[in-house]
Amino acid sequence: MLYFSELLRKKIYTEDRIFVGRLKDIIFLATEQPNITKIVVAIKQKHSVIVSLSFLKKINSDVILSKNYETCDLELNELYVAKNLLDKQIIDIKGNKIVRVNDVAIQDKPSFYIAGVDIGVLGIMRWLHVEDMIVKFCNNIGIKITSRFLSWGDIQPIELARGRVKLKKEDARLEKMRPADLADYLERTNIFNVKRILRLLKEEFAADVIAKMNVNYQTALFKHFSPEKAVKVISFIDPDEAVDILLALSARRREQIIELLPEKNKSEITYLLHLSKTPIGELITSEFFTASSTDTVDVIIRKIRAETADFSSLEYVYVVNEQKQLVGVFSLRELLMQDSATTLYKFMIQNVVVIHLTTPREIAMKKMLKYGLQAIPVIDDNKSVLGIVVFTDLAKTALKHS
Amino acid sequence: MIKDFINRYKLQFLLIVSVVGPGLISAFADNDAGGVATYSVAASKFGYSIFTTLIPITLVLVIAQELGARLAIVTGKGLGDLIRERYGILVSLVVFGLLFFVNFGVILQDLSGLKSAFHLFGLPEVIFLPLAIIFLFFIITKSSYSRIERFFLFLIIFYLTYLFSAFLAKPDWSLAFRSLFTPGRPLSFDYLFTSVAVLGTTVTLWGQFFINSYIKDKKIMIENLKYEQIEIYLGSFLTNIFSLFIMVAVAATIFQNKIRIEGAAEAALALRPFAGQLASLFFGLGLLIAGLLGCAIVPLATAYAYSEIFGFEGSLDTDFKRSKLFYNFFLIQIIIGLFIVLLPEISLFKITLYADFLNGLMLPVIFYFLYQFANDEQLMGNYKNSKWQNVSLIAAAVIISLAALAGGIGNLLHL
Repeated sequence: MLYFSELLRKKIYTEDRIFVGRLKDIIFLATEQPNITKIVVAIKQKHSVIVSLSFLKKINSDVILSKNYETCDLELNELYVAKNLLDKQIIDIKGNKIVRVNDVAIQDKPSFYIAGVDIGVLGIMRWLHVEDMIVKFCNNIGIKITSRFLSWGDIQPIELARGRVKLKKEDARLEKMRPADLADYLERTNIFNVKRILRLLKEEFAADVIAKMNVNYQTALFKHFSPEKAVKVISFIDPDEAVDILLALSARRREQIIELLPEKNKSEITYLLHLSKTPIGELITSEFFTASSTDTVDVIIRKIRAETADFSSLEYVYVVNEQKQLVGVFSLRELLMQDSATTLYKFMIQNVVVIHLTTPREIAMKKMLKYGLQAIPVIDDNKSVLGIVVFTDLAKTALKHS
Repeated sequence: MIKDFINRYKLQFLLIVSVVGPGLISAFADNDAGGVATYSVAASKFGYSIFTTLIPITLVLVIAQELGARLAIVTGKGLGDLIRERYGILVSLVVFGLLFFVNFGVILQDLSGLKSAFHLFGLPEVIFLPLAIIFLFFIITKSSYSRIERFFLFLIIFYLTYLFSAFLAKPDWSLAFRSLFTPGRPLSFDYLFTSVAVLGTTVTLWGQFFINSYIKDKKIMIENLKYEQIEIYLGSFLTNIFSLFIMVAVAATIFQNKIRIEGAAEAALALRPFAGQLASLFFGLGLLIAGLLGCAIVPLATAYAYSEIFGFEGSLDTDFKRSKLFYNFFLIQIIIGLFIVLLPEISLFKITLYADFLNGLMLPVIFYFLYQFANDEQLMGNYKNSKWQNVSLIAAAVIISLAALAGGIGNLLHL
């Protein structure tokens, strides 16, 4: 994750190191999917041009554009980060003033989009270049200081063009949110609310949202669904995920649902369910390392040296929040690439690939192969890490069985 | 015929009444306890000849306040909002830090003015000062905007006491009138320095923030802009009339008898042998009211700027819960000030001097912001500054900048 405060005024070069200008602003689509489309480059004092993001090569200490970059214009629905979003007043649904936008968070993996806005004190400290210092200082005196962050899903894009950053949680708008964001949001409300909201969504989208929720929520939901409804939802969900859900239900209810499944899904799911007799429970190792998202790189490196000396292997660092829930991951290589003062939440990957205790070995292996993982975390219903499964262990048992 | 006349102007009169408040209040608040002290000391040193500064001061005040009112009504935003949205967080933080410091100095002046007024009436300040603060906080948090405004307007009525003091001092009115246009004496460096101090106490950093935020909070419709402008002119004019009365009372007595004073409470005491017990009492009462008004309005100006710059809810019309940060910020400033002022043996002289100096330095900066906003087509549309308005704004800014410079040098020499 990047922050606008860190990008503003960055030097921009072409691939062959010809200086172009400095980054002045970023242009994004003011829609529910706020993709970043263009950047504004200040060439001279009062002259700036707009360059499409497709010419962007990479961002490190400088911004690198491809040699043959071209300029373009602002299009419909496009807004500026600095001009239209940064420093603006945030109001709630009733028009009460809440706070101002102190910084803008930009997701750069896998593609560039506006992840949300920073509304905390740290957002202000970042502009003063004292964020790391403050975090370190507070850690030293035993105060945990964290970013206050507002997800894009909480903001009404339409109001942005009118210069207002307005919050709204309204049913009709929910479908346009990312399934993962919506799942997070729904997990915070009660089950009846969830049902009411899911009923408003298209079935396919609802299924996607359910698949992104954690297992105990999924189980609670399926208990409320009629078998017919459950079947519909299951048929939209990726079979690997569906098996996890089905395994959490009672045997009777599971049978009921499988009976009603269309033939195509039925065979695949029964096969996967059959595999569940080989769960990964006995393969779990507790040799894993967790860190807090507000820790800095140098702190973590020191901790790794101190705490993991007797580990047989260590590939990843898992990042957890205050409730011990898994919120991110990064590899040791990614850790080494960072400056020592960088805080973890800035570069960790938030989309963590996980398995559950009930996940069959084959599915775990498929997931690891698909994402090229050396190890995969096993989480419980509360999203906290129980342990990890290392690929070599899985591979060994697979060989034995064949 | 008279009936026709009345009918014709009745509506207009009602419209003016509906907007009355911000212009009068913010102009009169410029004559807060610190202001009364500055006017008293100036008049005790230079007598009638210092009156010449009043007309230029009135004009500069009119220009600054009118623009503040126009910005607020057209954009619906306070100066803090505008600065944050246009210049970003870094500039806002610097401006806010300086504003906070300067205003805190002014709050200390007002609290100590209030303290000496209590002392004058033989009321123990350790009891009455905290009581006054609790009373103010209660009014500010518990009342709606319009009730608070009526409270402020009620306080302003008491400025009439200065009128009585002035008449009881039996001044030479014709000399007073002539002195408005010519000082009748060669300009010395000390005279200029004192004029600057008088200007600096009338056109203030907090005053610019206050008028913007306070009018924004009143939500005056743009159709009524011209009535608000009339009120601003009226307020600036009346305020300086009362400044004149303060200075007349002092010039006719204390200056004539060559007595040196260093504050407003001393002036009230020194009035007694020449103008009588009643004049002294009136002067003291005026100081008490000026202190109260200042103690309410100056911390309010900082609290408005605080909630605007950081985007918290901050309106006198909301209850304590909704604008908690705004009201708490208001309270914290006075409470800290209260503790400092109640400490015996602490000299506020240097602190207030630094605050005055910074106030002078910040005014050109604020005028720069005002100029930028007033000429922004996107922001102001048809209401942006005309050529003539720009000329007068720049003239006012130049006068203030020169004054700040002179004042700064004077301060350095005096320190």
